[in-house]
Amino acid sequence: MPPVINEDKCKRCGKCVDICSEDVFYGSPKGEFPVVTYPEVCWYCNCCVNECTVEGAIKLQLPLSLSLCYK
Amino acid sequence: MKTDVIEADVLCVGGGIAGLMAAIRARELGAKVVIAEKGNALASGSARAGNDHFQCYIPEVHGPDIKPFIHQLQSHRGQIRDKKLAQAWAERSFEIVKLWDSWGIPMKYEGRYEFAGHGYAGYRLDHLKYSGLKQKPILVQEATKRGVEIINRVMIFDLLRDSGIVGAIGINTREDKLVIFLAKNVVLGTGFITRLYPSPVHGRINNPNFPITVTGDGRAMAFRAGAELVALDMPYRHCGPKYFARSGQATWVGVIRDGQGKQVGPFVSSPDRKYGDVVLETYPTLFEDVATAGKGPVYMDCTGISPEDYAYMIHFMKQEGYTSFLNYLAEEGIDLRVNPIEFMRYEIRVLGGVYYNEKAETSLTGLYAAGDELWGGIANAAVFGWIAGENAATGARGKQQSQLYTLQSFIEEKKQVLEKMKGRKAITDWKDANMALQQIMNDYAGVVRSETQLNAGLNALRRLKTKVNTHLAARNQWELTRCLETVNLLDLAELVIVAARERKETRGRHIRPDYPVTDPRLDKSRLFIKKVNDKIITEWRTIQD
Repeated sequence: MPPVINEDKCKRCGKCVDICSEDVFYGSPKGEFPVVTYPEVCWYCNCCVNECTVEGAIKLQLPLSLSLCYK
Repeated sequence: MKTDVIEADVLCVGGGIAGLMAAIRARELGAKVVIAEKGNALASGSARAGNDHFQCYIPEVHGPDIKPFIHQLQSHRGQIRDKKLAQAWAERSFEIVKLWDSWGIPMKYEGRYEFAGHGYAGYRLDHLKYSGLKQKPILVQEATKRGVEIINRVMIFDLLRDSGIVGAIGINTREDKLVIFLAKNVVLGTGFITRLYPSPVHGRINNPNFPITVTGDGRAMAFRAGAELVALDMPYRHCGPKYFARSGQATWVGVIRDGQGKQVGPFVSSPDRKYGDVVLETYPTLFEDVATAGKGPVYMDCTGISPEDYAYMIHFMKQEGYTSFLNYLAEEGIDLRVNPIEFMRYEIRVLGGVYYNEKAETSLTGLYAAGDELWGGIANAAVFGWIAGENAATGARGKQQSQLYTLQSFIEEKKQVLEKMKGRKAITDWKDANMALQQIMNDYAGVVRSETQLNAGLNALRRLKTKVNTHLAARNQWELTRCLETVNLLDLAELVIVAARERKETRGRHIRPDYPVTDPRLDKSRLFIKKVNDKIITEWRTIQD
């Protein structure tokens, strides 16, 4: 269910809401805790994570079905 | 529905590399320029997260003779191109390299031009390694600095046509608003097509190796406006990490090995930063062959990589946009120096798109196109974006803007379509329609194609289109955006099937059991497709050599 936001660390600046081209945070009210309205279209580009200025406030959680297979 | 009307000399549809480069150049030449971007230009399109390869000709590296380079660009791994187009690309690519470097996109590695990947010993390496992690914000900054107006969250879905192309119509993706653009010239730069075939993880729509909102909008609207498209019949399949689909196969420094640990290709036997393992690009049935030989799965094996080459690979993975991938490796304790990673072949992608020539002109007056509208990677997008901007700006001089009232009936018709989608109560949502489309494409116009299969697919697709026209529903602007993308995909799917039926031979990934022989008479020909009087017309044309 990417992305996952830490409610305690999030500053409600809206940078993640603004940057996402898929608009997974669609409908998030300005100045409030972002809502992940459409998690199923997240493409894991990490732009929201890279844009966030607070260390550890937002991360992507990869669905199990996308797990890497390795030796 | 509220309507905004915006006037410009040049409208760039899509704020990717091609659109931004076109906008910057057109503005430099004095045009009033607007970019309409359906996401956020800072992080949109296929180049959003970064890139590390730029296919270019640098005289001080490749030598003074440009001809072999042009020849290589003309027929690059399954693509054939007009000589004049390849020549313009070769001649102007170094100019763009220097420009990007001056804007702060590092085009050199450790102070030198470094060419690596997508090649093998003896091959003229033509992919420059560069550090493109910040390329989108830098290009946005350069555009803004010059006075380009970037309008984010507007999806253009159709072109406005008078005697030529005179603008475009779109929606705001967040507010209930129609946006009309009147422009003397329009540049398409919306990239290629995802979501046409099912992605690697069944049932998930969000993991193709390119972003899922890149849905070939430009190609669909260009077709509907009467423009020529080319090479939609030719499929292409990328490969990369299994399930976690990412492009950038040539960024990996490793050896492709089978399940028994044996190297599959002849090119490298240990990790080599100069070449990577190009067998992924030269052996189309690699994965199927290894699996049917009982030797699967296929691994990208970076074990034995030197510390220097490992640091090099990780640096460029980051530049290529692998940051989420690298975070995942760290979280899971996966170490590429120790753990070979399974690779797979991803779904079919369409190689062709909107036809444009060496001046970035399409077959329609007032319409230019660049970049992955015709597939060519980052360098192609940058060079032809630049050229498109140049010609769109100079061509706009002295040209009259069209008047809105002449376009009113078309706009009204489109408005009604949108209102119907938003007004329907019984929901057929975009995802259901999109998945129905994907299964038709996979099962009828997939890896193996035959006349009877393609005809059956066309019937199924046309029935689906009829249903979608009367049933597709959107509960808000976000869903309306996805619905319009899906409508575009349905139009493109029809073209792909018609084009695939027309190629009566087997070539590359286009496999026709009813025509198993590759026809050498088509070696230098491409299939053009367009709409004439509401009928789809195809025509074979030989490339200009």
